[in-house]
Amino acid sequence: MIQYYFFLGIRSLRRNPVLTSLMVLTLAIGVAASVSTLTILHMMSSDPIPSKSDRLFVPVMDNSPLEGYVPGAPIEETQLSYPDVTNFLKTDQGVRRVAVYGVQMTLEPSRPDLRVADIQGLAVSADYFAMFEVPFSQGQGWTSAEEKNAAKVVVLSQTLSEKLFGKESALGKRLRMQNNEYQVIGVLGKWNPLPRFTHLINGSGGSFKGEDEFYIPFNTATVVEIGPSGSMWCHGPMGAGFKGILASDCTWLQFWFETATASDHTKLLNYLNAYTADQKKVGRYPRGAPNLLLNVKEWMSFLKIVRNDSKLSAWLAFGFLLLCLVNTAGLLLAKFSVRSSEVGVRRALGASRADIFMQFFIETGVIGLVGGLFGLILSFGGLWLISRQSGEMAVLAKMDWNMLVLTFILAVSASVLAGLLPTWRACQVTPALQLKSQ
Amino acid sequence: MLRMNNLSKVYRTHMIETHALRGFEIHVKEGEFVTVTGPSGSGKTTFLNIAGLLEEFSDGDYFLDGVNVKGMNDNDRSRLRNEKLGFIFQGFNLIPDLSLFDNVDVPLRYRGFNAAERKRRIEEALTQVGLASRMKHYPAELSGGQQQRVAIARALAGSPKLLLADEPTGNLDTHMARSVMELLEEINARGTTILMVTHDPELAVRAQRNVHIIDGQVSDLIRQSPSLYQSEAASASNSIAA
Repeated sequence: MIQYYFFLGIRSLRRNPVLTSLMVLTLAIGVAASVSTLTILHMMSSDPIPSKSDRLFVPVMDNSPLEGYVPGAPIEETQLSYPDVTNFLKTDQGVRRVAVYGVQMTLEPSRPDLRVADIQGLAVSADYFAMFEVPFSQGQGWTSAEEKNAAKVVVLSQTLSEKLFGKESALGKRLRMQNNEYQVIGVLGKWNPLPRFTHLINGSGGSFKGEDEFYIPFNTATVVEIGPSGSMWCHGPMGAGFKGILASDCTWLQFWFETATASDHTKLLNYLNAYTADQKKVGRYPRGAPNLLLNVKEWMSFLKIVRNDSKLSAWLAFGFLLLCLVNTAGLLLAKFSVRSSEVGVRRALGASRADIFMQFFIETGVIGLVGGLFGLILSFGGLWLISRQSGEMAVLAKMDWNMLVLTFILAVSASVLAGLLPTWRACQVTPALQLKSQ
Repeated sequence: MLRMNNLSKVYRTHMIETHALRGFEIHVKEGEFVTVTGPSGSGKTTFLNIAGLLEEFSDGDYFLDGVNVKGMNDNDRSRLRNEKLGFIFQGFNLIPDLSLFDNVDVPLRYRGFNAAERKRRIEEALTQVGLASRMKHYPAELSGGQQQRVAIARALAGSPKLLLADEPTGNLDTHMARSVMELLEEINARGTTILMVTHDPELAVRAQRNVHIIDGQVSDLIRQSPSLYQSEAASASNSIAA
């Protein structure tokens, strides 16, 4: 019978084309508005590394001076100082440990047709590539020994490799950057996590757009004194030069721990608490504020990667969808009310109330499917418009399969919801009255 | 086939109670052709609606083909209606956006027949009413008489035991009305029980039995010998109104 009701639903679309078009359009606009904003929200808040996002942790520790401290206030320090990072790198906590900071270097290409240019990259410790499951198209990352020896090696992004060497293999090639020669030992494969979660603070181009063009060893970067490209927060005195920065409590580095299991969080947090308690004895961490240890999703939430205006847009869009639903319900009431005589006839010919309910229920579902189809087309249009607003939006305004399926689920659910009252009223038709009134 | 014992139907509002049927007694035997007459508001349609399980009654008993329908739920009533009854209405009540084939198909769908069985029954029913060649047409493309024939085909397709007709010729001219009446008589001759409400005394006397209702009660029973094709003059002289 479902097939029969589906057939009746399709036929019914043609019964009153104007009313049907209005319903489909109302539904499609509401669905498109919701899906467009939800797509942005979905892309912003999606898990960039689902295989281990619950096992990757960022320590958030407050080493600010006691002055101005309000107990219980949120921690404003989101980066770490060099002494803390080097201490953490030396521990055996977790299975991997990675230090990260953004660097900008001047590239002097060997090709005469390419100009000297500043390029954005990351200084990372050796475990970075394994920790974040970074794919390589050529070569590989550096070893711990190379890191320790401050080897002048570099890993390039696919884009930079193609820009500098075309389709030729970049492995073994030498790059002159910031007055030093670096040997290319690896080229990344296609890797564009959204958001760029490994370096969310001061990531070149923001959290969603842009790309890190190269990677050099963390130790090498500090040895050749490449300063951070981004913000640095200093409270106390700082010595002269880069060595002064390294020795200071200025915060400019990000750090990641990888644990074997998500439940190792407690053990790791205990370590951090013991660490800050120990440091307090030598005058650091005067506030004694509780440490935080955040996994990937918590870290994204802590940094408010999903902006409040995106959430507000989504809520407004859902409010609009609700309005569309009320309108659709009104149109369905009008459409179904003129079919009381049909309901009467069907009841007389043997349809139970449940049969009538199912028939009209599926009919609203068919309207939802058609509305979903048009909603999808409008959603693509909406996303195209949104993508033209900024470079970041151009990255985010892309529909994936999840959102495509969600569009239809949303459209059918919305139409069925809007159709509940009209469908229920159709079931209540008294057949005897309708048959006589013909 | 149909038996009602001391049946009553009361419509209640905040202010008044209206007794549409009271102490209603009737017994229609299998194979009979019974007409129901009576003045407007006498309770004819209420009786037909209750007989057709479209309305519930207030008190008494109603047996349809031996089944007591009192207290049945909506699903059971719908199933019984679908299996035992066929309806013919004054206004034809065809579904306008379905073809003749699909209109006749409606009760068969609710019966749960497979596609081949439904097709066989639809073609047979439309052939019986002389419209097999127009099964892809839509109701609006037919005359009133033809539409009523389709309604009859729809009623017959499920092989009902009892055919309920509510003024089936009321919207037709004399010629078409006679043609429809002859079709009903043929159907009855093949064994289907027919209960027909009519205002037309000429048609009323053509049945084997006429039941007259006044103020919600059966007031009179007139029996006639079955004569399917009486002349108009004879019918008029024997009419119940006479």
